[in-house]
Amino acid sequence: MIDERGNLSIDFLIGFTVFMLAFIWVASMVSGIMVGLQSSHIDYDAVAYRTGVILVEDPGWPASPPWEFYGDDQKYEISRFGLAMSKNTPGILSQDKVNRFFCSSFIYPDDYHSRAIFGDYPYHFNISVLDGESVKGQSAGDVLPDGYGYIRRLVKIKEGSNATIGTALINKFHLNNTENVTTHDFSVLIDNTKLQGNMRNPVYQIDTVREQIIINITDLRSTIKEFNPDIDHPLGIDRDTSIITLQSIAVKKLEGGVLSTVRSYDRPYIDGKSTVTAPPCGVNDNVSLIINPRVFDIMQSGYAKIYINYTFTVLPDSTFLNNTNARAQPFDYNYFKENVTQPRLRDAVVEVAVW
Amino acid sequence: MNDGGQLYTIEGVAAGLIMLLTAYMVVGATSMYTPGDAHISDMQLEVLGSDALMMMDTPPNSSFPSPLQQIIENDPVDGGRFRSMFMNYTNVSGYGPKHDIQFFASYTYEADATIMSAPINSSRNLTGGEHAVRATKWVTVNKRLPPGPFPPENRAVLVEVLLWRD
Repeated sequence: MIDERGNLSIDFLIGFTVFMLAFIWVASMVSGIMVGLQSSHIDYDAVAYRTGVILVEDPGWPASPPWEFYGDDQKYEISRFGLAMSKNTPGILSQDKVNRFFCSSFIYPDDYHSRAIFGDYPYHFNISVLDGESVKGQSAGDVLPDGYGYIRRLVKIKEGSNATIGTALINKFHLNNTENVTTHDFSVLIDNTKLQGNMRNPVYQIDTVREQIIINITDLRSTIKEFNPDIDHPLGIDRDTSIITLQSIAVKKLEGGVLSTVRSYDRPYIDGKSTVTAPPCGVNDNVSLIINPRVFDIMQSGYAKIYINYTFTVLPDSTFLNNTNARAQPFDYNYFKENVTQPRLRDAVVEVAVW
Repeated sequence: MNDGGQLYTIEGVAAGLIMLLTAYMVVGATSMYTPGDAHISDMQLEVLGSDALMMMDTPPNSSFPSPLQQIIENDPVDGGRFRSMFMNYTNVSGYGPKHDIQFFASYTYEADATIMSAPINSSRNLTGGEHAVRATKWVTVNKRLPPGPFPPENRAVLVEVLLWRD
C-alpha cells in the first residue's frame, strides 16, 4: 500500500492559489490607498484659489511696461500672468490684460500652466471671464469634467478712455482754420502731469503708461469749406472730391520748456480698416490711433506733456482740421467727459476650475 | 484516507472573497469627507462675500457714490436693493455651479460712545443652526446715525454679512 503522508491534495493547491492571488492583489493596492488620503479635491480647490488670487489681485510680471503689450515674439519674457490693474487695486482688472490673456497666441496648457497655474503636477484647468454687461465670456482650457476644484471671483473690468473728435467737437473748439492752404497741422495734447494729478484714485485715472488710449478723428471732410467755381477758384472746392493725405504723425515732448520731436508714429488705422497703414497715405474721412503704453513708457513721459501732431495735405487748397491757427488750442485729452470718454468699470466674474 | 491538515477549495475561495471585500471597503472609505475639508467651502464662501461687498462699494465711475454707500445713506436703509444686488452677485453670476446662498446683513457704527448695530436685510432669519461665515467691509457714509443728535457727516460704518449655504 502506498503511503499518502506528506502529499498535497488538489483541493489545497487550488485554495492556496486563490488565496495567494487575492493577497497579491490587495498588497499591490496598498500604495494606492494612500492616494485617497491626499484628498485630491482639497488640492484642486487650493490650486484654483491660488490661481484666482494671482489673476485677480496681481498685475503680472513684467509690470512696467506691462506684460500685455509684449508682442508674440516677446511672449517668453512674460513670467507671470495677472489681470489686476495694479497691485494696489485688487479686483479691478485691466481690459487690455484680459484681452491679451485670452489672445490666441497663448497656447493651452503650456503657456498658461507656467504663468498662472504653476507647480510640477500637470493639472487640467479652465479659466474664464464672464462679462456682466454683455454676458459674453472668454475662456481658456479644457471642457469641465464632473468633479473639479473651483473658485469664483467677482471683479470689475476697467475700460480705457477714448476720444472721438468729430463734427461736434470740431465746431465747439473751432478745430478748423479759415484759410485755404495745402498743409494743415492738428495737435492733441496729452498732459500726463495733469492726468496723474487731477484724478488721485488710480481706478478712474487715465494712465497712459499702463493703459492704451484711443484717439479717433472723424468727419474730416466736413472741415473742408466748399466753394462754387469763381474767379478765385476756377475749379471750385468740392469736399467730396478733395484729396486728403495724412503725411505724418509726430510725437513731441515738452521738456524744460523745449518742444522736441521724439519719434514719428506710423501705426494709424485709416477709414476703419483693421490693419495699420503707415503715412503718407490717403484718407477718406477718419483716422484712429490706438496708442500703446510702451510709446509713453519708452519716452519716460509718465509726467510730461506729449503732443501728437498730425500733418495733412489737402488738394485743392482748402480749409481743414487745423489748430495751429490763433483760434484753437491743441485738443486736450483730459477728464472732461464731454471731450473724452472716461475710464469706466463694469462687472465681471472670473472663474477658475482645476482637475 | 486521512484528510487532516488539508484546506478545501471552498475555504480558499471564501478567504479570497473576504479579502477582496475588505480591500474594496478600505479603498472606498478613504475618500470620505473629513472635517478638515470644511474650511475649503468656508473659504470659497468668505471670498465670494468679500468680493460681493467690494463690488457694491465700487462705483462704475468717479461721478457717483458707490451703490453700497447709497444703500446705507438712504433713510430708511434700502434693504431691498442690497438684497437684489447681493443675491445677484453671489447666486446667479458666472458659468460655474449655482449656489443657494443665504445671508443676513447689518451695519455697525459708534455713536455717542456706544456701539450700535442696525439691520440692512436678510434672505432668511437666523436660527442659530447655520454654519455661517462672515464678510465685512468698511464704508464711508454721510448720514445722521442715531441715537446721536449730530447732523449728517462723513462716518465709517462696518457692513457685516453672514453667509451660509442651504
